[in-house]
Amino acid sequence: MKEITLQMQELARELLQKGEVNVVLGWEKGTFWYLSPPAFVDKPEDVERLVYDDYCHHNLSKYLMDYRYQEGKVAVFLKGCDSRAFNILLEDNQLEREKYVLIGIPCPGMKDQEKAKEFGVNGDIPLAKKCQECKYPNPLVYDYFLGDKKAADEAAATKEAKAKEYSDVEQMEKMTSDEKYDFWSSQYERCIRCYACRNVCPACNCRECIFDQSRTGWIGKANNASENQFFALTRAMHVAGRCIECGECERACPMHIPIMLLNKKLIKDINELFGEYDAGVKVDGVLPLGHFDKNDPEEFM
Amino acid sequence: MMKIIAKERLPEVLQLLAKDYNVLVPAKFEGVSRFTPYSADVELALEENVLMPPKDIFFPQTEKMYKFKAKDKSLEIEELPVEKEEQLIFGIRSCDLKSLECLDQVFLTKGYVDHFYKDKRDRTALIALSCLQPQEACFCGSMGVDPQNGVGADIQAYDLKDKIGFKAISAKGQEILEKISGLLAEEEVTIPTFGEFNLKADIEGVPEKLQGMFDHPLWADICRKCLNCGACTYVCPTCHCFDIDSEVRGEDGVKIRCWDTCMFGEYTQMAGGHNPRPTKKERVRNRFMHKLRYFPERYKMLLCTGCGRCVVKCPVNLDITAIIKKIKEAE
Ligand code: SF4
Ligand code: SF4
Ligand code: SF4
Ligand code: SF4
Ligand code: SF4
Repeated sequence: MKEITLQMQELARELLQKGEVNVVLGWEKGTFWYLSPPAFVDKPEDVERLVYDDYCHHNLSKYLMDYRYQEGKVAVFLKGCDSRAFNILLEDNQLEREKYVLIGIPCPGMKDQEKAKEFGVNGDIPLAKKCQECKYPNPLVYDYFLGDKKAADEAAATKEAKAKEYSDVEQMEKMTSDEKYDFWSSQYERCIRCYACRNVCPACNCRECIFDQSRTGWIGKANNASENQFFALTRAMHVAGRCIECGECERACPMHIPIMLLNKKLIKDINELFGEYDAGVKVDGVLPLGHFDKNDPEEFM
Repeated sequence: MMKIIAKERLPEVLQLLAKDYNVLVPAKFEGVSRFTPYSADVELALEENVLMPPKDIFFPQTEKMYKFKAKDKSLEIEELPVEKEEQLIFGIRSCDLKSLECLDQVFLTKGYVDHFYKDKRDRTALIALSCLQPQEACFCGSMGVDPQNGVGADIQAYDLKDKIGFKAISAKGQEILEKISGLLAEEEVTIPTFGEFNLKADIEGVPEKLQGMFDHPLWADICRKCLNCGACTYVCPTCHCFDIDSEVRGEDGVKIRCWDTCMFGEYTQMAGGHNPRPTKKERVRNRFMHKLRYFPERYKMLLCTGCGRCVVKCPVNLDITAIIKKIKEAE
C-alpha cells in the first residue's frame, strides 16, 4: 500500500498544480495508529499528508455533497464501496458526474479498528466484517485507476463469484417475533440519537431529513423506546434498496448498535422479492424500490 | 493509615451501601459502559472510565418537567411527583467530577437555580475512584485535573491494584465510611504512581487567543470532515444544551426537555427559516469556542475536562487536542 500512497500523492500534486481541481479528498493519519480519517488537501505542498493504509474506512463520496454548489472541480479517492456510494449519489440525482475527478484504488479490505485497539500494533488484526463480506473491492467508476488493474480484477472476480454471506441474518430470522422484538428494542434502547449513522451514510442524502423535522410531529425529540424504534425502522427503510453496504453507519455508531444486521436483512429481502440486486453497481435508473415494473410481486394487494 | 478492602470483596461494600442508597456503579453491557444500578449480578467495570458520563444521572437525556391539560381557554398545570431516593455513585473519576463543577456553574449559579438538576445533585453522594493508568485518549492532566485526587467527592477511593482504599473528604463521606467500616481493614498504603499521558494539550493562552479568532480561516479548514452528528457532544460530560418540547395527546400534554447539540442544524433554526449557523463551519466553531473561550470567559473554567471521550467516539477523528494545537499554531 506504500506504493499506492506514493502514487496517490503524485497524482494529487499533479491535479492541484495544474489547477484541474481545487481540492483533493483522501485520507491521512489520525490521533492513533489505527485511525486514517478524511483529509482535504488544497495545496500541492500538502499532498504528503495523504495515505492509503489498512484503516481508510471512511467513505468519502458523501462529502462530495458539500461541494455541489461550489465552483471548480473536486478530486476524490474511491475504494470499491466508495464507488458504489458515488453511483448511488448519481442515481439519486445528487451529484453531477463531470464535477468530480474520480481516482479509483483497488481495496485489499480494511482492518477492524476496534480489534486493532484491543490487539495492539503487533497483533493479528482481522479485516472489518463488512470487508470480509465485500463483493466489489474494485472501484466501479473512475477516471484514473491506481495500482495493478489486472491483478486487482482477478482478485475481485473471485469475491464477486462468491455467494452473499447472510449467516447472521439467517440467525436472526430464526428468532420468534417476540425474541426479535426484545433483541431490537434492547439494541435501540442504547441509541442516543446522535444521528452519526445517518450523517455518514451516502444513501441518506435527503435535502431535509424526516428526523430533523420535529415540528411536524412525525418523530419527537424524546429519547425513549417508541421514538427510538421509530427512528431505527424508518432509517432502515429509507435506505432500503440504496444501501451499498459500506458499513459506515455501524462503524460510526458510538453505541455499538448492530445496524448492518438490519440493513442486510432488507438487502436479503429485496434480493428474494425482486431478484438479484446490488445497489450502486450500475447507474441505469432501475431501482428495486424506486422503479415501477408491472411484474413486481404484489401479494399483499 | 488508610481504610482498605481487597478488590474482590468490593461487592460486599456496595451491597451494604445498597441498603441505604440507590448505588450506581460502572458496568458494561454490549460494549457500552455506564453507571448502572448495583445488584449482585452486575459485573463491575473498573479498569477504565465509563463511556457514558455521569451527566445523565443529574441531567437525563429526556426529562419530564410537568404535565398540563389544555381545554378551551383553560390551562391546568400538574407538578410531577419528585423522587426522594438517596443515590450514591461509586467510581466516578476525577475528570467527571470536574464536569460536575462545570454543570454546577450552569445549573446553579448566576442567580438561577435549576431545581431539576439541584434536586438530583443534592441527593447523590459521590465516591470518587483514582485512576491507575491513563487510557489512550485521556488528557485530563493537561486540563488541570489530577487523576488521582478528584475535587468535590464525598469520599476518595484509591485503586491500589489488588485493594481499594477509602478516604473521607466531606462530613457526608465520613458518615458513609462509618457505615462500611466494619468491612474495612486499616493499613499503611502507598498510592501507585500514575502512568504517562499518551495525549496532551497545551491550553496556555488559548482562551485569550480565541478572542481574536472568530473570523480565522482555520474554522473553514477544520470543519470539513465533521459530520455534524451528536456523538461528541452527547458523550461529553460537560455539554449541557437542551431543548424544551411538549408531547401532546388531545387535551393532555407533558413538557419535556431533551439534550440538544450545537452540532445539529436544527439547533439554531429560527421560526421563519433563517439559520444563523447555516454550515458546518459555524457549528464546529461554536463547539470549540464555547468549550475553550465563552465558557472560560463566563465561569473562569474550561468546558473540557480532558476525558477523551469525544476523541474516542468521533467517527472522523476530529480530535480536540489537535484543534487546540492548531489554534496555538495559527497566525
Ligand atoms: S446504511 Fe450504512 S452501510 Fe448502507 S450505505 Fe448507509 S452507511 Fe453505508
Ligand atoms: S449512530 Fe448509533 S447511537 Fe447514533 S443515532 Fe445512529 S444508531 Fe443511534
Ligand atoms: S470535549 Fe471531549 S475531552 Fe473535553 S470533556 Fe468533552 S468529551 Fe471530554
Ligand atoms: S459545545 Fe455545543 S452542545 Fe456543548 S454545551 Fe456548548 S453549545 Fe452546547
Ligand atoms: S466532531 Fe465528530 S462527533 Fe462531533 S459532530 Fe463532528 S463528526 Fe460528529
